[in-house]
This record gives sequence, structure tokens and C-alpha cells, in this order.
Amino acid sequence: MVYDMTPIQWLKHVIFHPTEGYEDMRWKKQGSMVITVVIVFFLLIAQIVNQRMGGFAFNMAAYSDVFNIVPIITQSVIIYITWVVANWSFCTLLDGEGNMRRIAIYTAYALVPYIVCTIVSTLMTYFLTLDESIWSSAIFYVGIGWTAVLLVTGMKACHQYSYTKTFVCIVLTLVGMLLILCLFVLLLSLFQQVYVFFYTIYTELLYRVRS
Amino acid sequence: MTHINIKKVLCLFVAIMLTVTMAVTAFADDPYTSYNYNAWKEAVPSQNGYQVTDTITGADIGLDQLSDPDSEFFISEDEPATLSDAKDFFLCESTEEWYIVDTGNNRIIKTDLEFNLLACYKTFTGSSMTTETTLEDGTVEVTEANTLKSPYGIYVDEDGIMYIADRDNQRVIKCNQDCEIIMEYTRPESELYDSVSFYCTKVLVDAAKNVYIICPAVNSGAIMYSASGSFLGYFGANKVEVTATVVINRMWRRIATESQSATLTKATPVEYANFDIDEQGFIYTVTEAANTTTDAVKKLNPAGENIISRTENGAEIVFGDQTSVTYSGTTYSTRLTDIAIGDNGIVNILDYTSGRIFQYDREFNLLFIFGCDQEDQNGGFDNPNAIETYGDKVYILDGRNNDITVFSETLFGSYVHEANEMYNEGLYEDSLALWKEILKRDGNYNMAYVAIGRALLNQDEYQEAMKYLKAGFDDEDYDKAFEYYRKDLIRNNFTAAIIVIAVLIVLYLVVKMLQKRGKIPDHLWKRLFRLIGNGIKTLANKIVGAVTKKKGGAANGL
Repeated sequence: MVYDMTPIQWLKHVIFHPTEGYEDMRWKKQGSMVITVVIVFFLLIAQIVNQRMGGFAFNMAAYSDVFNIVPIITQSVIIYITWVVANWSFCTLLDGEGNMRRIAIYTAYALVPYIVCTIVSTLMTYFLTLDESIWSSAIFYVGIGWTAVLLVTGMKACHQYSYTKTFVCIVLTLVGMLLILCLFVLLLSLFQQVYVFFYTIYTELLYRVRS
Repeated sequence: MTHINIKKVLCLFVAIMLTVTMAVTAFADDPYTSYNYNAWKEAVPSQNGYQVTDTITGADIGLDQLSDPDSEFFISEDEPATLSDAKDFFLCESTEEWYIVDTGNNRIIKTDLEFNLLACYKTFTGSSMTTETTLEDGTVEVTEANTLKSPYGIYVDEDGIMYIADRDNQRVIKCNQDCEIIMEYTRPESELYDSVSFYCTKVLVDAAKNVYIICPAVNSGAIMYSASGSFLGYFGANKVEVTATVVINRMWRRIATESQSATLTKATPVEYANFDIDEQGFIYTVTEAANTTTDAVKKLNPAGENIISRTENGAEIVFGDQTSVTYSGTTYSTRLTDIAIGDNGIVNILDYTSGRIFQYDREFNLLFIFGCDQEDQNGGFDNPNAIETYGDKVYILDGRNNDITVFSETLFGSYVHEANEMYNEGLYEDSLALWKEILKRDGNYNMAYVAIGRALLNQDEYQEAMKYLKAGFDDEDYDKAFEYYRKDLIRNNFTAAIIVIAVLIVLYLVVKMLQKRGKIPDHLWKRLFRLIGNGIKTLANKIVGAVTKKKGGAANGL
């Protein structure tokens, strides 16, 4: 096999060769950070499409006037970043060979089937009735399954683990993500308190100055 | 120039004045702005379905005749001429007579439909109960319990037999129009009945003359007596609302010892506050406890089962206001205090907190919300205690204002009622014109969109139906309309599509054949592809170039 490929061809190679694609990419030290950023952006797009589009009977909520992008960003970009950070934190301790950059790239490459299938299944609902909803949901679940497989092999190749260790690591990563998000929320509420404290002092001073 | 400007300003001024004054006259009849809930459970402005037309006080009824010695209704010199904390009233539809329970004055007032005094019932004969009164000299006199002691509820059957819930005497009396007591229902001597007292508040009689009595201390349902006066049991108890505490207590109970579990709080259902019976014998109940979501309104069949979930959207509906309001630290949430069933099974529910009446059709679609809690204005209530409905009117009894407020249906209200009745019977096409008229008057009226959409669906106008069903947020019917629309689309364009596909196949085959024979050189395709590829490449390069240039510029700037 000739490994003289452009970055896009590498992406295609990885997606369609789940078991050996990542290994090849690792030994050839390939993978583009630009493509990773583009993929994460499309992850956000896919979530927006999933929530704000679709046939009327399938997704009535998309036709309401209220739209809040913050939860969607949390569900896509924030989750991705947390995954990368948590995975790096655990795997560095567990003799993983991957660095942060490589984890970010491998994870993003694994997300492509999910993004494509989400968008395709959402667009399909424009032409389907509720009775035929099985077709769009089938495509959606195929995307999730495919991404899951890619994620496991990707992490395995990235850190040069055995399958067992990869699974343990993924479970630990999920726990780590929970911890990070929990701490993040705590931190936010703390800063809120601090802000309120200083704001109270400010208003108090303002009253005294005026009176 | 200035001349024209002055003219313009004057014109504008007159126009503004006109619109302001006209707007005032147009809305002068409505004491408050009406609202309704849209498909997203948000409050949206709406038209008034009912308006206050009259307020009846004791003076309007003519209660001063009771203390007038010359009058035929004379009872005593110091008989009060106003109502006092009246708790209930009842309209006997067969005779068109009102029975008002004047709780504070311990009497029942009978009037005709226009609230002219017909009789006042104060003393009753034939009681088997006795009351002990301590006289001034210290002796105790035992007398027949011939008066009422804060009566709370009344029901009158078609023969004019009155059933009065005589709360503080702990009895329900059944008597005729001559105040002769036929039967007294007191605390049941049964082991099933575990409450010490029998403070009954509401009473109801079904077609078989079974008597249903509500005691607030009893939470197993209404106490049910047969026509002969024997205790039959309980009817239609509420379910326990599943909260976190209930679940935790249940888990504790599994592992706790008997004495430990005795200390845990028992989960008991909330008793219902009031009920009404419709023409078909279904009993509707309301539960007054604030924030209740389980069994707030029930429709019971004669077996005591709640069948509300079998109506179109009764199962998941939240009755009353959709959200509670917090104002100056106090939370105001819905407390459903009374229910009245009108013509065509229209359900009127009275909310004690807000003084609002929520009117639903028999499939529990919200029709109107009217009334308010500003007691100083028309249509506002302080202690709304009871609701009744007859024909196109709704009556509210207020226990603090001591009056009865009469709401009459507006033109808009009558349109909605008529259209809604046809809609519920499935006559969608017949109601189409009416619903369009309703939409002209109130574009927020969600049900109109759904109804028009269904009518158009029946008339096979799928595309138009889809438009209306989308506006009414009815996803299931939209799906049906879409299915037919798609079928039509495919059927109408089938020939064209087949021809296009056939042409494409033939073209493909011809090209393939020519290629095989060498008529089309290979490099022709390659050249074409290269041309397209080059075009894309230059475009991409241009974009990348522009981006890097910007980047470079930014870097230089730094």
C-alpha cells in the first residue's frame, strides 16, 4: 500500500479502515489540526441542524420561536474539549503514548460518521412520514455506532493500548469528564458569588458617596 | 412650507386623538385583558368569551322583605338583609330556581332565575337529632335540632327534595319544600369510617338517588349513602401524588421495623374539594390543594374510575394556570375550588387564588379564561366560593363580597361554543366558516387553526391543510396531511419522473456503447474532469490566499 496521501485522503482512509487506519496514521505521523478544527465546527453545525431543523411532525420544537445556542455549544464543543482534556489526563498517568494534539486529532476524525449521519438523517425527515421514521433513526444509530468503533480503535492506536486497557481508559475518561464539568460549574458559581460581593461593595460605596 | 407642515401636524394630531378615543370606547366594556394559552403553554392575549353583565347582592334579591312585617316572607325583625359568607349555591334546572346557602346566617334562600326572592328556609321539623343549649339560669335545655348550623352545601333533585350539608350539626338533611325532614344522614356507624367527626361540606345526588357527601377530614373519597340511607362506602378516592418524599419513605419502610415505620409520615391522598354531576351521570371532582398535579380534576364513571385520560387530551393536561406567580415573596398557585358542567359537557373550573374561571370543552381543550382577583372591580373576586352555569351564563358566588356575579357569553364566545360543538362531533367542514370568523377576531386562537386544518384535510386540500396544522402545532394531523400530499405529488409526477429516468439510462447506455467502439476518446472525459478540478483548485487557492493575507496583515500589525 502506498501511504503517499493528502490529509483529506488520510481522513477517508481512517474512516473506512477502522482497525488499521489509525495505526497507519500513527506510524506515518499524519493528521491535520486544521481538519480537526473544521470537524469540531461541523459537530456544532450538526447539533444545530439536529435541533433546529427536520420535518414538522418529527421535530415540532424546531418551529418554536425560542432558540438558545448555549446548550448546543455545551453539547458539542465543550463536551469535545472536556473529552480531550480528561483523556489526556488519565492516559498520561496510565502510560499512554498519545499527546494532547494527537488525542484531539484522533477523536475528531472519529466524529465524522456521527456528523454526516446526523445531518443526513435530519434532512431525510423532510421527506418521511412518522410511520417511516425507522429509516432516519436507523441512519442516525449507524452513525453513532460507527463513531463509537472509530473512537475505541482511535484511542487504542493513539496510546498503543490493548483493547481491555482502552475500555478501562474510556470509562475513566467519562468519569473524568463528569468531574471536570462538576468543578467547572462549582467554579462558575463561586465567581458569581465573588462578583455579587464586589458589586454589593460598589453599590454601598455609591450610596455613601451620593448621600 | 411651514403652512403645509402645520396642516400635517394638525392632521396627525386629530388622527391620534381619534384613534385614542375610539380605542377607549372599543375596550371600555372589558374590565381586564383576556388571555389564553398557546401550543407552547405560554399566555397569549385573547378575546373575551364572557363578560360581566350583572352583580346580584342581597338587596337585589330583596332580602329586606325577610325583616319587613308586612311582607309574606317575614321571618323576624332582625333578619339580616345581606348574604354572609355564602359557601354554595345550586341551580335546579328542572324548575329554574336558585338555592343559595347563606352560611353565615344559617339559612337557605330560594329565588327564581332572575334572583327574585321565592322563599327562605330557616327552621326544619322532624329531626331526630337534639341540641343542648345552656339557658341564662344555668339549666340545660334539650331541643330538637331544627335549625341549621353553618350549612356548607346543597343539592336539589328534580322533585324539589333538598339535600343540605349542615356542617356544624354534622349531618346532611333531606327535606321537602315544606321544611319537613325526610331523612338525616349522620356519621356512619361502620368500621370502614375511621374519622371521629362528620363535618360535611358538599352533597350530591345521582339519578338512582344515591347520596354522595364530602367531608374534608375523610380522604378516602366521597361518602356514599344509598337511597334508603345506609352507608355504602367510599367513592372515587384520589391517588397519592408521587413525590421524592413518598418514594424515600417507601424505601425506608421496607427495611424499618414496625415501630420505626409507625413514626414515618403516612402518604395520604388529598381529599377533593367539590364535585358536580353531568346529565349522563358522570361525576366531576376538583381538588383544591395548591400545586397538585395528580387528580386535580377527575371525571368519574359510576364505578368510581377516573376516565379523564380517555378524552382527547385530558391525560397530560395541567388544569388552571400553567405557571404559578411569585409576587412580593408570596407564591400564588392554582387552587381549584369548584366545578360546574354546562351544556354539551362544557367544564367550568373556578380557581380560588386568582378568581379566574377556566372553561374547557368536553375533550378538555381550553376554551376561555375569564374573571380576576381584583375584588373592587366588576368580574373580580375576593373569596369565590362556588360556580354554576346555565345556558350561556356563568354565575360566581363570592363569600366576601356577598354577591353573585353573572357572566354572559359574548358574540365571540357564542361563535367558539358553536364551532367547538360541531368540531367535537366531527363535523369539521360545517364548522369551517365559523372557525375562519373566529380567526378574524382572534389570531391567537390555536384551536381554530387545528380545526380548519382538519376540515381542509377532509376536503383533500392537503397543502392548505398543512399550512393551518403547522400554525396550530398539530404534528400528528400534519403528518397525515403530509403523507397524502406526498402521495399526490408522486402520483401526479410519476410519468415525468419515469421518462427522465428512462432517458438517463438510455443516454448512459449509448455513451457506454460509443466509448466501447472508440467513438469518444478517453482523454475527453479526463480533460473535462481536469478542467472542473482546476476550477475548484484555483477557487480554493484564492480563498486560502485571502485568509493567509489577512493573517499576515494581523501578524504585521502586532
